[in-house]
Amino acid sequence: MKFLQPPSPSRRRRWPRLAPFLAILAPLLFGACAPEADVVLYCSLDQVYSEEFVRRFERESGLKVRAEYDVEAQKTVGLVQRLLEERGRPRCDVFWNNEVAHTVRLADEGLFAEYASPSAADIPARWRDPKNRWTGFAARARVFIVNTEKAEPAQLRGLADLADPRWKDQACMARPLTGTTLTHATALYEAWGEEQTREFLRSVRANAGIVQSNGQVMRLVREGRLAWGWTDTDDFNVARVQGYPVAAVFPDQGEGELGTLLIPNTVAVLAQAPHPEAARKLVDYILSREVEAELARSDSAQIPLRSGVPPPPSLPPVEALRVMEVDWQAVGRAVARRHEELKEMFLD
Amino acid sequence: MSRPLVTVLAALFALAALAPIAVMLARIGSGDLAGLFDARTFTLLGRTVVYGVASAALALALGVPFGFLVARTDLPGASFLRPLGLVPLLLPPMLLAMTWTVLIDLRGAPAAILVSGAATFPLVALFVARSAERIDGRIEEAALLAGGLRAVLRVDLPLVAPAALCAACIAFVFTVNDFSVPDYVSWVGPKFNVYADEIFATWRQHSEPGRAVATALPLIALTLASLLPALALRRRRGALAVQGGDFRSPEPLRLGALRWPALGFAALLVILAAGVPLARLVWEAGGGQRGWSADGFRSAMGRALERSRGDLANSLVYSALAASACVVLGLGLGHAIERARRGRWLEPLALLPIAVPAVLFGIGIVVCWNHDWSARFYDGGGLVVLLYVGRYAAFPILVMSGAVAMLDRSLEESAQLAGVRPARRLARIVAPLLRPALLGGWILVFVFAMRELDAAILVPAANHTAMFRIFNQVHFGRDDFVAALALLLVFLILLPGILWSLFGRRRLELLP
Repeated sequence: MKFLQPPSPSRRRRWPRLAPFLAILAPLLFGACAPEADVVLYCSLDQVYSEEFVRRFERESGLKVRAEYDVEAQKTVGLVQRLLEERGRPRCDVFWNNEVAHTVRLADEGLFAEYASPSAADIPARWRDPKNRWTGFAARARVFIVNTEKAEPAQLRGLADLADPRWKDQACMARPLTGTTLTHATALYEAWGEEQTREFLRSVRANAGIVQSNGQVMRLVREGRLAWGWTDTDDFNVARVQGYPVAAVFPDQGEGELGTLLIPNTVAVLAQAPHPEAARKLVDYILSREVEAELARSDSAQIPLRSGVPPPPSLPPVEALRVMEVDWQAVGRAVARRHEELKEMFLD
Repeated sequence: MSRPLVTVLAALFALAALAPIAVMLARIGSGDLAGLFDARTFTLLGRTVVYGVASAALALALGVPFGFLVARTDLPGASFLRPLGLVPLLLPPMLLAMTWTVLIDLRGAPAAILVSGAATFPLVALFVARSAERIDGRIEEAALLAGGLRAVLRVDLPLVAPAALCAACIAFVFTVNDFSVPDYVSWVGPKFNVYADEIFATWRQHSEPGRAVATALPLIALTLASLLPALALRRRRGALAVQGGDFRSPEPLRLGALRWPALGFAALLVILAAGVPLARLVWEAGGGQRGWSADGFRSAMGRALERSRGDLANSLVYSALAASACVVLGLGLGHAIERARRGRWLEPLALLPIAVPAVLFGIGIVVCWNHDWSARFYDGGGLVVLLYVGRYAAFPILVMSGAVAMLDRSLEESAQLAGVRPARRLARIVAPLLRPALLGGWILVFVFAMRELDAAILVPAANHTAMFRIFNQVHFGRDDFVAALALLLVFLILLPGILWSLFGRRRLELLP
């Protein structure tokens, strides 16, 4: 048999011995080919909406952007965890978050540099970090999505309706353990105080359907399985665009009432960003009026925060809304603690 | 086996699989362990164990008869049903959950048990089928003469029981480590909360890294405690047990009047566990509730292919490279487990990467590789491959060690006496004889890598894979695009098996 012959020193016969190592080394070498980018963006806004802006910025600036996204199931955790883990050697230049609570948390941990973008000069101060570590723009509003074949939108006035026995088992909300619902619940604690918020959430839990996510709220309502639910304007607008019989109700809009919560996108430059100059250019672009207008026109129907930028076709402009007053610094600091409390209330 | 070769392979395994775990465990301080012994932890763990045991019991109840029927009886269409029965194992469990929560009004624990049992029964069927083929024909002939089919079953069932229990242990591990199914089936009503979800929630909200790692320890212990009996069981008369030299293959058993009811059971199981979820994806891709149309289906598939071509290609390349590297590791380390002195200590180490939560493994990879000297590698596809290798190398290592156990030692000993060096013996004698096991191990890694998301989401280049794209698009009810892309992904996952069925000269075996 051939293999029983004495080993030959020839080069050809050494290959079988080297093959396993080459097979393992090949993928390692393969990775060394990652191209260098001019600027790295971590973006938690849905890829389908944000990647067009990235391409346009590349065309206009001539800079190559490496954009990395999150998935809905992770609720921004993937990127936030990476930012925290990479802080020793930051590789991200710009963080575009589709909410604000985690941004405040990261700013408090010293991850962001101060940058007052000239593009943000006309964004009202309430949507900007006092130290210019982040800037808010293009917000989602927390609204009731109503199936107009199941309920009359005019019958709904405010958050109290979620706990009203008249709507027992006809309304729903997402568990306030992630995403914008957690942020909203935390903001209520700040606005109403411990007792009132706890009592309200307990009543809602007993009265309304508690579902997994805002997306599920939208699905249940658009299909008429429930009459209405508490969700975000982007979820409402997608159901509307798809042709379902839905309407949006902005809660608590009366004189002296709480108002609706607006949750802005936020953008920040990383402290020790590898490409600070390009990062600032990208932030200027993201905060431009054109991008905010585009986001308003998109299916996600983000509401512009500065005057003069046209609102989404299906939603009122920000000036027409009674907006809930929120101390974002306080909400960002409290969100982890509130999550623990809400876990006890909403989980077995 | 050559000591330098084993050392090199073990070092590579340690680099890919153990280093990320070690750096994470090193974060735990004594204060982080305090919260582990509260009532909530025990309640959640207790619930998780009940959930895992109930799902594994369901997997046993479905998988034992299915595996035995398709492997050992004259069931009509058995050769067709046998590979189809594996399909639910290849689908992400979340897809099954998404289908069944829409079709039946079942929520919470019963729904989670049903979905997880349906997702893992193929494991039991796989082990039982392989084990049942290893029953010596002479034993069955004697039983048949003594008491007919009933007597044969009384003899056979104890013989396949170790393999079935081994698979049930693995099914238990898969179930208790997945939180997507319990989370999804609680989409309405009270949440069915399990321990894996608690770990994820801790990562989500806490900036205390030590506590987040410590929270994972009870589940790691539970997983290892379930896998170690599985290893012990497989060495008994299970799927991977050694056959004697005078082994005689058994003849197919005649079911007689039971043939058609048995076919009904097997076909119904395949339809419910694989056919219905795939049919729902086709329905969603074609328009779903807004009205199905062939044009809509074609359009959704076209869009999915056009927008995700690059992501699909990346998934294929990363998974295929990882599977190839894992097979090389598996061959060397699997052989060492069986043949090297003190090789058995490698076995529990090999299990560790599949026992740790995905998020912990993913962050461990980030910590290990995010340095200036490794910056280009960190950003590139190589890190995704390394992550897949670290996470899934255990499968080919264990498959290969089982296959090596069945090889006649005398072949290697003869070559050794003739002066053939260890690496050459491995490449020229052992590897050709293990070709089916090598292919089986390759396919296992390929499948799991193609559906990997939870750990890979933390790695930069995994941003451009098909699984990532699917879950990035789930938001906002873009159901047709998501369903179309999921169908394309399922097709790619099944592709190696399909190609083998079409062109392979032997039947594809995932177990040796």
